[in-house]
Amino acid sequence: MTTIHIAIKEIKQALRDRRTFLFMLAFPIVLILILGTALSNAFSGSIELGEMKVLYKDTGASPALGGYWDGFVKAVEGENVHFTPLGKDMNGQEEVKSDNYVAYVEIGDEGIRFYGSTRNTIEGNIVQGMLTTFAQRYNLVAATMKTDPVAAQAVLANASAPHDIVKETALQADKAPGSIDYYAVAMTTMIAMYGAMSASTLIRGERSRNTAIRLSAAPVSKAEIFVGKIIGSLFTNLACVLAVVLFSKYAFKADWGYHMGMVILVLLSEVLLAVAIGLGLSYLFKGETARSIVMIFTQLASFLGGAYFPIGQDESFMGWISDFSPLRWANVAINKIIYSNELGAALPAIGLNLIVAFAFLAIAIISMRRREAL
Amino acid sequence: MSNVLEIRNLTKKFGDFIAVDNMSLAVREGEIFGFLGANGAGKSTTINMISSLLRNTKGEIILLGKNIAKSAKFAKSNIGVVPQDLAIYEDMTAYENVSFFAGLYGLRGAQLKERTVEALEFVGLGDKHKAYPKNFSGGMKRRLNIACAIAHRPKLIIMDEPTVGIDPQSRNYILNSVRKLNDMGCTIIYTSHYMEEVEEICTRIAIVDHGKIIAEGTKEQLKAIITDTKDIWIGIKSEDEIKVEPLKQIPGVASVRVEEHMVMINSKAEVNNLNLIIQQLIRDRAEIRSVEEQAPNLETVFLTLTGRNLRD
Repeated sequence: MTTIHIAIKEIKQALRDRRTFLFMLAFPIVLILILGTALSNAFSGSIELGEMKVLYKDTGASPALGGYWDGFVKAVEGENVHFTPLGKDMNGQEEVKSDNYVAYVEIGDEGIRFYGSTRNTIEGNIVQGMLTTFAQRYNLVAATMKTDPVAAQAVLANASAPHDIVKETALQADKAPGSIDYYAVAMTTMIAMYGAMSASTLIRGERSRNTAIRLSAAPVSKAEIFVGKIIGSLFTNLACVLAVVLFSKYAFKADWGYHMGMVILVLLSEVLLAVAIGLGLSYLFKGETARSIVMIFTQLASFLGGAYFPIGQDESFMGWISDFSPLRWANVAINKIIYSNELGAALPAIGLNLIVAFAFLAIAIISMRRREAL
Repeated sequence: MSNVLEIRNLTKKFGDFIAVDNMSLAVREGEIFGFLGANGAGKSTTINMISSLLRNTKGEIILLGKNIAKSAKFAKSNIGVVPQDLAIYEDMTAYENVSFFAGLYGLRGAQLKERTVEALEFVGLGDKHKAYPKNFSGGMKRRLNIACAIAHRPKLIIMDEPTVGIDPQSRNYILNSVRKLNDMGCTIIYTSHYMEEVEEICTRIAIVDHGKIIAEGTKEQLKAIITDTKDIWIGIKSEDEIKVEPLKQIPGVASVRVEEHMVMINSKAEVNNLNLIIQQLIRDRAEIRSVEEQAPNLETVFLTLTGRNLRD
């Protein structure tokens, strides 16, 4: 009962602390909104293509080709590709260089010559692809016409059928995090780790307020004080984390998937890890040094874990070092649970969190037992 | 009267430093026991060992007949500690502070509520139970500090400098509270730098120096130790021109202290040196307003026994 008595006191104090609301609630919610909105393009899986303007010049050297060309130009008008004939005093290549057109095409007796823009490579590639298809079909029709005019008609009929310029084919194409989804997870795991900061003052705060004297003088064991404080801190931090999850889910429509229970388990293990790290470091380092080290640790872990922007998703050095961030473990696990329904992904993250948490708790317990007072 | 507390051959070492050296004493039931000592004398270390905040290196502490090393929970349940430094939560109301600490002693429900209200009313904060200590004066905080230590009705209350840095009105309130607690049956160990407080409320006093008790008894018994000295208090207009060294050279003078408008000289009783002292002060151009010869007080006793002032 005394343990619960101490835990309730911890919760009461934490909920009255304005810094709790500022750091654990307002800060992540504002960041989800700002980063999620500002960096939305970085997370989009599709690219919006605008109008593709192509300049062309028909030298008239090949009337047959010119005839088919006019048909082709009319056919692709509906596909947001606009062909404009080269005007007088215009230099096609210069116009492309000046970014007025995505490509310049010359139709002559040797066929079609294409000049693409290095600035608009995607649009240029699309136009080039269309022209290649046109050229191949022209050659096919020309060759067929010589031997079998009926078959040539069939080729022409097929060419006029409607078709898409780009067809998207991707694995899980419609199940990937948008920016709001990404930052909802990243900010939540970040503030879970921020729990280390408040945990670093759990015992140290009692010493600085001299209340450690009263706690030590009361008929309460160190274990009861220790467990009471951990329960209080876990409850408070988890409550803040869940508040951010729910706010992002319902206010920002962030995707938290269909396995919320497993996501919460990962978050709970991360909160325990944060509390243990804060407590452990507060015993390893004296006074304000502990707070500074916890602050540096959480910031580094946040940065490497991809709280501010995705980092280390490749085989580089950053990729290797980011694997040491507890945020990374949690983010990877939660994203796999949400987007791939891989519930098993939670186990490595929870396991790592618990192992490291128990190591830091052991440090705190051993240090506490060695001290005469708290 | 039975002993509430017995200390037998108590020793505490910090490395090679001996903070408390083979100390023995007994505090009887119903006493207000004064514990006097300059900073570093071993007073706080002793109190911390009695409160179970520190472990003793040697010796025994017996509380209500039980060795606290073997019955720590029993001992802690029967002791209330009023620390020298304020030990309260500024972000919790006065009621919540008292209730939380009382709850650590196993009080729950209606009993916890009743004792919390009782403790707050006892220290005169009954009407401030919903207020936060951050809005309290220094005196009110000190009173709350006491309330947090008494709600569980301990048999022995240890008060370490409970009146430091507060206004005279709050000081009087606290001293009266100490007397009332004593009347209600509490035994009290009281430490203070204010000798007049100790002289006013303590029934027995121990003087600690270098980790040992060098004198113990009632204030009359302690004063009787010093029969060969006298105190001469000379009122002056300004202490600016007073030179201490020439006064110390006068035959019989043991110590000289200059405070605001007052020169306090401790001298051997058999030496008639008042004329020489007055002549020296006149040479220093001091404007003398009063001269008073006093019997030794606790301050003098302390100074004579330890060679230093209590505030050193």
